[in-house]
Parts: sequence; C-alpha cells; structure tokens
Amino acid sequence: MKKPLFLSALGLSLLAAGCANLQHSRNVADPAVPAKVLAEQVCSTCHGLDGNPVSPAFPRLAAQTPAYLTSQLNNFRGHGRSDPAGSEYMWGLSSHLTDEQIAGFAAYYAAQEAHRDPGAGKDAALLARGKDVFEKGVPEQNVMACATCHGPKAAGNDVFPRLAYQHADYIVKQLSVFQNTHGGRPGTPMAAIVFPLPEDAKEAVAAYLEAMPD
Amino acid sequence: MSRPEVPPLPLNIPGLRLMGQVLLLLVALFATQAQALPVYARQTGQNCLACHAGGQFPELTPYGRMFKMTGYTIGTRTEVPLSVMGVATDAFVANTNQGSVALANTDKNAQPVFAAGSVFLAGKISDNTGGFAQATYNNYDSQDPNGNSHGYLRSDNMDFRYADHLIDQERDLIYGVSLNNHPSVTDPWNTAAAWMQYVPAASTAAYQFADATTPFPQTAAPANTAGLTTYLFWNRHLYAEAGTYRTANGLLSLLSFNNTDAQTPHLAGGWNPYWRLAWSQEWGAHNLMVGASGMVAHLYDGNDTTSAANLGTARTSGLDMQYQYLLDPHTVTAQLVYNHQETQYSPATFAASPAAALTGVPAMDSTNLIRAKLSYVYEAKYGGSLAFFSSHGSANVQGLPDTKGYTWEAFFMPVQYVRVGLQFTGYQTYAGATTNYDGLGRSAGDNNTLMLYVWGAY
Repeated sequence: MKKPLFLSALGLSLLAAGCANLQHSRNVADPAVPAKVLAEQVCSTCHGLDGNPVSPAFPRLAAQTPAYLTSQLNNFRGHGRSDPAGSEYMWGLSSHLTDEQIAGFAAYYAAQEAHRDPGAGKDAALLARGKDVFEKGVPEQNVMACATCHGPKAAGNDVFPRLAYQHADYIVKQLSVFQNTHGGRPGTPMAAIVFPLPEDAKEAVAAYLEAMPD
Repeated sequence: MSRPEVPPLPLNIPGLRLMGQVLLLLVALFATQAQALPVYARQTGQNCLACHAGGQFPELTPYGRMFKMTGYTIGTRTEVPLSVMGVATDAFVANTNQGSVALANTDKNAQPVFAAGSVFLAGKISDNTGGFAQATYNNYDSQDPNGNSHGYLRSDNMDFRYADHLIDQERDLIYGVSLNNHPSVTDPWNTAAAWMQYVPAASTAAYQFADATTPFPQTAAPANTAGLTTYLFWNRHLYAEAGTYRTANGLLSLLSFNNTDAQTPHLAGGWNPYWRLAWSQEWGAHNLMVGASGMVAHLYDGNDTTSAANLGTARTSGLDMQYQYLLDPHTVTAQLVYNHQETQYSPATFAASPAAALTGVPAMDSTNLIRAKLSYVYEAKYGGSLAFFSSHGSANVQGLPDTKGYTWEAFFMPVQYVRVGLQFTGYQTYAGATTNYDGLGRSAGDNNTLMLYVWGAY
C-alpha cells in the first residue's frame, strides 16, 4: 500500500512541477514572468496593486521616478542596500530579477497615481514646521532644503526620489538609516546631508511630506 | 472561590546549565550560517518576520496569510525542501504529590529533556501548487509496561494546495483547494483551533499541566484525518472555506503517517463537513479579523467501524477575533475565541458510563470555552504574552470540564531561528473544583507549572 502511494504522490508532484502559469506566476526567479505579473502576484501583497500600500511598514511606490526605482531594485539585488527592512524583505525577492524585469517594475509603478493617506496632516503646527524644514532646511545645523533636489512639491527628479505622500513612518526610519549606518544605502549623498538633522525636524518633515498640500 | 496559591519560584534550576549550553550551541550554529534559512525563508529569500508576526511562530502577518492562501508559491522552488526544528524543555509542577504518593507522569519533573523535534517537507512545487508537511518526533510519545518512555516520529500538520490569484483593477480573488489532515489547519489566522496553541509546546507526560494541555478550541474531528477543502479570499476582506473529512486510510494514509490503524481516528463515511467564514480589515499598521467556524463529525470510538454502537457525533461551532498592530519595532496581537462543542456519545460509550444507570441523563455533553491572548514583541527579539482560558460544561458522561486559569510567557530570540522562553500556567479551577478536585486533596493551584524552553529551527 505504501509504495503505490509514494509513487502516485511523486508522479503528481512531477506533473505539477512541470506546469507553469506565466500569467499568474509568483516565481521571482523565472525571467519569463513579466514584471507586471510579478507586481500583481507578489509585490501587491505588501505594496498594494497600484503601489499605494495600506500599511506604513511598506513604502509607497506609486508615481515614483523610474530612475530611483531602478537604482533601488539594483541595490537590493546586489545587496548594496542593507538597511534592515530592505534586506529582510527585498534581498531574496530581488536576487534573481533580470534587468528587463527591473525596468518593467520601474515603468509599472511610475505610471500609477499616488494617493495621499486620508489621515495625514492633522497636526497644523507639525506641518508648518515640516514645511519650513522642507523648503528652507535647518540653516543653524547646516542642513540644506529638501526641495532643492526633490522638487518644490517633492515629486522627485530622476534619481532623486518622489517623497510626496510617502508614509511618514517610512521617511523617519529611512532618515535614521542615513544617519546611523555607514553604507547602508549606497549611491546617495543623504548620509552627509541629514546627519545633523534633529529628531523633531525629521518627524516634522516626514509629516509634511506625507500630507504634501496641493 | 479562593485564589490559587502561587508556587515558589525554583531558585536552583538543575536544567539551566544544560539548556544554556544548548542555546549557545544553537546560536553558534546559526550565527555561522546566516544565509541558511528554514525552507520558506529559503524559498522567498526573506526574513522569518515577513510572514510571522514579530518572528513569533506560527502567528502570521497579512503577508504570511497571503503566502499561505496562494499555496506557498511565492518565491522560487528550493532544491532541498526540508526544514527541521527541535525543542528542549524543563518544567516544574508546583506539587507532584497526590495524597501520600507521587502523582503519575511526573517522573520528568524538574529535569531538562529533549522534548520533541519536527521535520518539514514544504514549499513551492509549481506556479500553482505547494505544500506544508510536518512530521514530529515526540521523545516521550508512549510508555512501555515498565514505565520507560519511547519516542516516535508521526504525522503532524499537513496541507497540500492548489491555488490561483486573480488580480487586476477590477477584482482581487484568491481561490484554492487543500488536501490536509487537520480541520482548520488551512486557516490563515491563528485563532483557528489548529493554530492557537502556544508554540513550542511541552510534550512529555510529566508536563501535563503546562499550557499545551489547557483547554484550547476544538474542531469536531481531530488531527490525522483526511480533508478536502476549498476556499476563497475576496478583495482581501472575505474569507470562506468549506470541505469535508474522512478517515486517513488507504491511499490517504500518508496523512496519518506512522500511526497504527488503532491510533488513526476513524470517521464514518466521507461527509464530516467543516466550514469557516471570516471578515478581514486592514487600516494603517492595524488589521482585524472577525470570524466564525463549525464542524460536524461522526467518529467511531476505536477502529471497529462495523458496529453502529461505536459511533458518536461531535458538533463544534465558534466565534473568533484577532487584532494585530505591526510596525517595526512593535508587534501587538490580541486574540479572542469562543468555542462550543457538543458530543453525542456512542451507545457503547454511554452504556459503559455510570450515567447509563441513572434516569433521564442524556447521552451527550457540551463544553463552552473562552480563550484570550494578548502578546507583544519588541524588535522581533523580546516578547511576552498573557493568556486566559475558561472552559465550562455539563458532566453527564465526561468529568466536569470546568478549568480556568492563565498563562504568561516571556521570550527572547537572539537570532531569528532560536527562541528561549519562560512560560507559567496558573490554575484557578481544574476539573471542576478549586480544591480537592481529585478527592485526594490536590487543589487547582497544585498544577501550576513553570516551564523553560529552548527552541531552534533550521
């Protein structure tokens, strides 16, 4: 009784193993699976179908600049970006992606519309302070204005990422990564720029970016 | 009702040194193989906490639930789809005497033991199929007539799936089919009967009062049965599942692996239905599930399926709720379960019970259980929980099931595959009484148990 059972289980497994379903695949190591399919089947689980995630644990990717998305996926794939959240979630998923798939992800998310969190921007005083930091920097600490590179409405510019509507919690944590890790996020001058940024300024600018008034 | 006495904390714990050495060995082993992850982590390349809330197993995050519902198919097929885990325990029951003699099954009290280990065959098979098959070696599985313990490897939870995910701007629907061996093992939430138990659990008879043996939610049919269920998850809100269970014999005997025919639960026919409905809501870092489930099973007393006199029926129904807050560095989980079970005894069981001699006593009993648990984990390293349980029911044939108490636990995870924990279970009521529940003077508080464990997986 045991042998036929084992053989039939083995046969079924081999049969199933031979079945590929490219349009609904969650195989992140198959170069034949289009980026759009992986975005729908895998990435959407955390980042949302349109790059607008529900949870602030995961960054908003909608309307992000293609150059930034490409650089970050390359950094994850090559293990260059080693902040904990990035490496814990993204190293494995990106390790087998092809350049073509990465370009496909960049195009997919750049084409999505970013949504502002309905709960953002409730604290007027915090927003005012954040606006100040974003537009003028913190001169007494020699921190330059964020808007200089990220644009007046934080819409991003090429390799400078879009920050508008990004989850405040994610921004605060990434600013801390820039401040506290050496080489955790390569290819960016942010470590030097934000090193002296005070804690309250981080929270204020993150709240402002999350709310980004029209 | 009087308060239970809290047992004194043992100051000189004999197993500490051994368990410390085991812990150091595990840390050294895993620290040198940082890339060598348990099989699902190897499949996705992700950290355990992507799927397990704060790294506490087996509780799933929203992503972990999606991973399970899509048939364990996210990622890439691994070359060696195997994982192993092991747990060493040391436990201390407040009072091991019963009257003037030693309480049965306490010979391992206050001794460190290798309690149990599991091997898992798990992971992605194809784009639509995957599985989870666990076999557990219980080092204290059974005792021979001389009182010597013997270990056995037997089937544990198993779940083989086909699943598909239809998702675009118009719809988001996951659907699938599962062949499994335990009602509710398919459930994505950890308030399900198969998943609410504290993990790791003690396994030795000596630890009969640790949390694992306190009242937990039940389904009408037990583990090591064969079930076919189908499920859907619509728009990440509505979960529905229905299926039926039968005896795991013949071609399905793998689902009751290494259990003899006498040890395998025998169900009547192929219609022992299980159902489940749940509503899930996510907002910000929060998620909430409210659900209900139920089952009817026709179960033989033993493996003699030729006589209807051996056939009884169990019905279970329940409500459950789980809330999670997940945002690094905090993980908060609250769980609440109400479980109702009705047992219609077989004519043979009823005839053999003292109740048969009485007039007007029905051949059935019912039990209601409330169980709640609140847990918190910081930085996926330091955690703790507090749980409350209370069962209450009739005693027509069964003994009084009324047992009430609490469990608290504190744990530390030096690396993601190793956990060391301290767990305490306290009883306010046991088997229907606060004092002298056995007629030999034992009080509920005598069963209070402190347990230390070291758990590791690879």
